[in-house]
Amino acid sequence: MVDHPAVQVNGVQVSYGSTPVLVDAGLVVPAGAGVCVTGDNGVGKSTLLRCVSGLQQPDAGTIRVFGAEPGGAPEFWRAVATTVEPPTWYPGLTAREHAELVCRAHGQDPEDAGVDEALARFGLAGHADAIPPSLSSGQKQRLTLALALLRPSSLLILDEPEQRLDPDGRAMVAEMLAGYLSTGGSLLLASHDDKFAVASGAELVTMERLSRPAPAEPEES
Amino acid sequence: MTGAVVELRPVRQWIRRAQAAHRDRRESFGTAYTTVFCVAVLAAMFQGPLVAVFRPLAPRLSGSGALAAGAVCTGLLLLALRRLGPVTVSRPAAYFLLTAPVSRRRLLAPAMRTAAAGAALTGGLAALGILGNAVTTGSYLLAGTGALLGVLLTLLASAAQARPRLAALTDTAARLALAVGLAVLVAEATGWPPPLPGGEIATSAVVTLTGALAVLATIALLLGVRDLARTSNEKILESAKATGTLADSVYGMEPSFLADMVERRYWAHRRLRSARLPRRLPPLTGQDVLLARRRPARLAWTAASTTWPLLLSSAPRWALVIVLLAGSTLAARATTGTVKTDAGNPVLLRTLGLSSRQVVQQRFWVPAVLATVWATTALTLLQLAGALPPGQWWPLGLALGPVGAVAAIRAARTGFVRNDLLPFETPMGTLPTGALVYAFAGVDLMILLLPMVVGLAQGVTLTWTTAVFQIVIALTGVRLYLAVSTGTDRVELARRG
Repeated sequence: MVDHPAVQVNGVQVSYGSTPVLVDAGLVVPAGAGVCVTGDNGVGKSTLLRCVSGLQQPDAGTIRVFGAEPGGAPEFWRAVATTVEPPTWYPGLTAREHAELVCRAHGQDPEDAGVDEALARFGLAGHADAIPPSLSSGQKQRLTLALALLRPSSLLILDEPEQRLDPDGRAMVAEMLAGYLSTGGSLLLASHDDKFAVASGAELVTMERLSRPAPAEPEES
Repeated sequence: MTGAVVELRPVRQWIRRAQAAHRDRRESFGTAYTTVFCVAVLAAMFQGPLVAVFRPLAPRLSGSGALAAGAVCTGLLLLALRRLGPVTVSRPAAYFLLTAPVSRRRLLAPAMRTAAAGAALTGGLAALGILGNAVTTGSYLLAGTGALLGVLLTLLASAAQARPRLAALTDTAARLALAVGLAVLVAEATGWPPPLPGGEIATSAVVTLTGALAVLATIALLLGVRDLARTSNEKILESAKATGTLADSVYGMEPSFLADMVERRYWAHRRLRSARLPRRLPPLTGQDVLLARRRPARLAWTAASTTWPLLLSSAPRWALVIVLLAGSTLAARATTGTVKTDAGNPVLLRTLGLSSRQVVQQRFWVPAVLATVWATTALTLLQLAGALPPGQWWPLGLALGPVGAVAAIRAARTGFVRNDLLPFETPMGTLPTGALVYAFAGVDLMILLLPMVVGLAQGVTLTWTTAVFQIVIALTGVRLYLAVSTGTDRVELARRG
């Protein structure tokens, strides 16, 4: 796994109808490093992250995650944790029980994995007994991040993790992401907050740098 | 700022005119034609069973049985009224008119009138059905008595909607009436107490009772309409969502809308304390155990329902077979909501990183145990009551339970009704294929129980060889389903197209 870059994107093209979103996009996230893609709304950040997560098939180009094609295999999802999709929750299960279930599914002991500490760090200790749908959008976002960081993974793919977090929350999440990188994890995120991205230890890359401009139509003579 | 109340009637007239202007008249006629044609065809098709339900050749309900059937109908009607409101408005009206300065009483009164009319119709039909099944004969005026009781139940439900304590009391009373009524009916079906010879209810008594109820219903209706303004906005919005979702489910032929709403509301009202998942069980099995333990009332109803097939001990065998198959599947459905969540959106499956085979196998155990216990108990009770052909039928719980469990899991894995399938064009209108596929998902696996179904329906003596053969077929089929419909190479429950 270490022999390959965490993420390698070559010549990826995605269009929605006649509108090109990604044109010949390329990106490399070395193993153990972090990259943050930035750019205005609608430039294709989420689309790129969805393609890297294997949740969307690009029209052209290749994507490799640790040298393999992203897909729906259990091995892929044991290595990759993402918050690209909006979360869903199991009925009748509290926030803490969701965290415990994720740990148990990954063969971790919930106490050793620090479920209670993680909930406390994310300011959710007082909501451990709440069912997630009853939480505010910010609290749900924090719970999603807590679950992604609790379970073991080699690559984190996060779409605007700073959204709906207060300034203290942003600083805390950035610190945790920096900690994740320091333990050898790789990080690919999209963000509008450069300060947050830098604090998380990720290298900033603009979407304009990723995509080559679409070739101009040859003029008719 | 002015506190003037705006006249509601012109607003409603304007809304109706605007809606009518956008409606295609030919389409409206088409819908009316389809509805009338469907009702006529269904009535002709099910004339026999309808007559059997409302007017069987050999009525067998004693006086106490008829009262118990009345209690069951009352409990069911009251619970249905409480779930739907009964005071409600459409979702657009909830958004635009509930906050407008219009008379609240005038806004809500039509809903109450509609609910009362529906409840009166249901009450009347229930009274006719009970009368047809009772050995005691009585005047058809009892249908009117049933209708008036329906109106009174609507008014009780409406009063409860505005008063939380009365609401809790009403719900408990309705559940109690349902439980006691069913218990008496089951007792009577097993021969205790033996039905008494039929008599006749004096018409004068029926007239007096109905007259008194009519006076009571009129007074209660006047007071009830005056009381409408007391119902809080929160309760009206809740019932508007409930009736709107019910309409969506019917119109879109998508029952999961309603099921999801009921489930969401149930958990939203619960106060939970985090528990540790059982360590000795696989994580998803542990989650299902926790989920089942959190719904003790549902488990109690499931346990009680093992006696309900006894109600059909003298009914045609095919009815008993259907109830046994449906009962085991319903018992298994106690925890399949988690499978439905994963089938609708596999985000959590990706977070868990388990293969679809691990997921379905771990999720199979709790439904299988529940359905097996249900089926074994129901078959034992039927055998003890002499309602089954000769032979030892109870071991077939080992076949019925696991098949019921995979049927429930398969239905849950279907997720939502697929609307991308080609519809059938019939004289009764367009038949959506997706809804049909959805309705039969899981039912198709019942083919694994063919030896048992045929034996039961034909009244054949069950030998141990046949029983073992049936159990082996069922368990092999279940094992095959768990292996073939899942994979170790994907986390999603359905293969990506």
